[in-house]
Amino acid sequence: MFRTICRIAWASLARRLSRSVLVVVMISMSLWGLLLMEGIYDGMTEQMISNAIRSDSGQLSLFAPGFREDPGLNRLIMQDGEITELLAGDPRVKSFVRRLRQDGLAATAHYSRGVMIYGVDLATEKRQGRLDTYLTQGEYSFGEKKRGAIIGARLAEKLKVKIGRKLIVSAQNSEQEVSAVALTISGIVRTNNMGLDESAVFIDMDKARELFMTPAGVSQIIVILQAEKDIPAVQNTLGQHFPTLQILRWDELYPALMQGRVMMNGFNMVMSLLIFGVAGLGIFGVMLVSVLERLREFGIMLAIGTSFAQVRGIIFTESFILGFSGFVAGSLLGGATLFYFYRHGLDLTIFGEGLEEFGMDVITYAVIRTSYFTTAFIAVMLATFVSVLFPLRLLKKSNPIEAINKV
Amino acid sequence: MFFKIAVRNIFAYSKRSIITVLLLSCTTALLVFSTAYMDGSHGRMIQSSVEIYPGYVQITHKGFRDNPSLENLIFDAGKVRASLKDFPGIAVLTPRFESFVLFSSEEKAVGGMFTGIDPEKEMHVSRLAASLKQGSYLTSNDDAQVYMGRELAKRLKVGVGDQVTFVGTGADYSFAADTLTVKGIFQTGLFDFDSRASFVAKPYFDRMMAAKNIATHFIVQPADPSQAEALAAAIGQRLGPEYESASWQQTMAGLVQAMRVDSIFGYITLGIIFIVIFFVVMIFTLLVVYARVREIGILRAVGTGPGQIFSMLLLESVLLGLVSVVLGGLIGGSFAYYFHINPIVFTSFEEQFKQYGLAMTAMPTDFAPLIILRDMAVMFVLSVSATLYPIFKVNAFKPIEAIHHV
Repeated sequence: MFRTICRIAWASLARRLSRSVLVVVMISMSLWGLLLMEGIYDGMTEQMISNAIRSDSGQLSLFAPGFREDPGLNRLIMQDGEITELLAGDPRVKSFVRRLRQDGLAATAHYSRGVMIYGVDLATEKRQGRLDTYLTQGEYSFGEKKRGAIIGARLAEKLKVKIGRKLIVSAQNSEQEVSAVALTISGIVRTNNMGLDESAVFIDMDKARELFMTPAGVSQIIVILQAEKDIPAVQNTLGQHFPTLQILRWDELYPALMQGRVMMNGFNMVMSLLIFGVAGLGIFGVMLVSVLERLREFGIMLAIGTSFAQVRGIIFTESFILGFSGFVAGSLLGGATLFYFYRHGLDLTIFGEGLEEFGMDVITYAVIRTSYFTTAFIAVMLATFVSVLFPLRLLKKSNPIEAINKV
Repeated sequence: MFFKIAVRNIFAYSKRSIITVLLLSCTTALLVFSTAYMDGSHGRMIQSSVEIYPGYVQITHKGFRDNPSLENLIFDAGKVRASLKDFPGIAVLTPRFESFVLFSSEEKAVGGMFTGIDPEKEMHVSRLAASLKQGSYLTSNDDAQVYMGRELAKRLKVGVGDQVTFVGTGADYSFAADTLTVKGIFQTGLFDFDSRASFVAKPYFDRMMAAKNIATHFIVQPADPSQAEALAAAIGQRLGPEYESASWQQTMAGLVQAMRVDSIFGYITLGIIFIVIFFVVMIFTLLVVYARVREIGILRAVGTGPGQIFSMLLLESVLLGLVSVVLGGLIGGSFAYYFHINPIVFTSFEEQFKQYGLAMTAMPTDFAPLIILRDMAVMFVLSVSATLYPIFKVNAFKPIEAIHHV
């Protein structure tokens, strides 16, 4: 029986070929556009988040109490030994780094600028956020005598400095005196995390300790986990062990990025609703007309003993075939395009300057999530289902005898 | 006669007509409003970024913008002022001297921007004076009094009346240092600017930094801000090759391009919606045209030419398109106008705006009749072209076939 229903449905669709093809093309085109948009836009947001996590906040950051409100060398994490032990022993933790930081001034012979000086260990930074991959010029090293500095790209532009140039970095040390050190610029990084690119001067941790006169303690411990889902649990564990410290998630440090992600999800939702709403209208029109023009046919079928349930089955099958073919075609097309951009990235170098202003990477790698396809599937099915309800009601109300006699 | 038939047909197939008009006018309204919103918000973002501090037109010595070193200063500010005296289109001309120093208070040392301004003229070219939060704004006679951003004051832990010292380099590479009293604290809302900028009166600055008659740049407030680009070019001509005159389009090229990128993504998003609408309109036209295959066959049989039928059907879709586009344009336009007068306020997105260096949350839409007409024209072409395929398709039937079409 089911096979007969399918065959009848298929035959009626084939009879109005251009109409059916048009509906399938419409569904697949809208799906294609939607998938592409979701994948690329999500790629942009996720890349910004990943840049912030990799270059600065990690997934979790630990600070001494009061440091966030009033950063200074008098508010350092002193128990970093214990923390290191705990983090090193936790299998959920992928990597962590320790940074020492202080406001300061970087000056060349001609120009000077307020900066944030970070004392770091390059080897662990490389493991943590692959800081070396952000390097645009120079080398990922502070040189043999540790007198090198790696600075943010925008800062380099503003100071008009190149690799190998001298940079005088001065800051207030823990004795409240201003001390200075002459460094050579060994590398320039562009993280697309605007704060860092504008003002970061990375120097060797030991050099920083010397400059700030802080033999012990760190300003920030940054943790990256194996899996994103463990963030709350690890935050909790750390909180229990070190109740005095401030332990913040990336989205607490960069609320704007989280807001961006939430806004993007909302936007995708609205777009999907809008597109599938309109597409549903298209399916509705086709199904309505195809039921109306076949009233007589259905009348005869009912008169010779076909049950209404079977007729309903035919109509549902028709709209299901349309929706499903559209979904498959659109998913294949959209999935393939997304996969291309996932592998090769979407290169927007021509808008480089503008994207930089937003703190975005020039090349965006698309994101592909199964949820795109499942929501699209549900939406298409819902649209096809809802769009036949009204035609079915019309059919039910109409009298078969009248329908047969109608010319 | 075609017109009459077309109108009759539109009413005869009223369901198709209503759905088509509804869809098309909603889409047109969406396009008109989105464009107005994008243009308006971008214009506003640029305007506020320009007006807070950078200014519409900036005059520098040649080479300063690429290499802002002490060798590329404007060494004869008096000459620039004299040659631009009574220059048409300039409302206000004021010099600035920007430098970076290390501030230190009792507890903290923070690097910051230290700029000498002409307080009276500065009021007309930027929002510094209007952004006053505590204390008071500067006057030209102020000696060792500083006007600083709220975040900078916070970082230094100083308030109005407190003292702060600075160490910097003068225009002649000399060492400059002094103790300042905080006269006022401002907040523009641009976090980055507020946490870096500080200002003193130029006469005092000139003495401390050996900068008499020297400036890093001049800011020009045009009489008509929309003419900034032309004015910058005219000023450049007058001053000659020794100087550079740039409008905000050049000094803030990144922001201008960022807005363009945002528009492009906006249009791509709208484009996806349009593709769907295009197909839906095509499907509906196809349905209604197919319902009339017999009628068309009979028309052909009684001697109507294919050209005439084509014109008739096309006229229908043109009329429907026209009505929808006008309706949509009116709806979208009135929304654009309403929100132009009553800007949309986004208080919850302040964080994100701040990240992009934007200091406002109210976004008026841009009400530009020409742009609205352009959008309407685009939608009209789109709607008519969506009907072409069905019309050609039905016209391809032979009359006999058509009459027997079920």
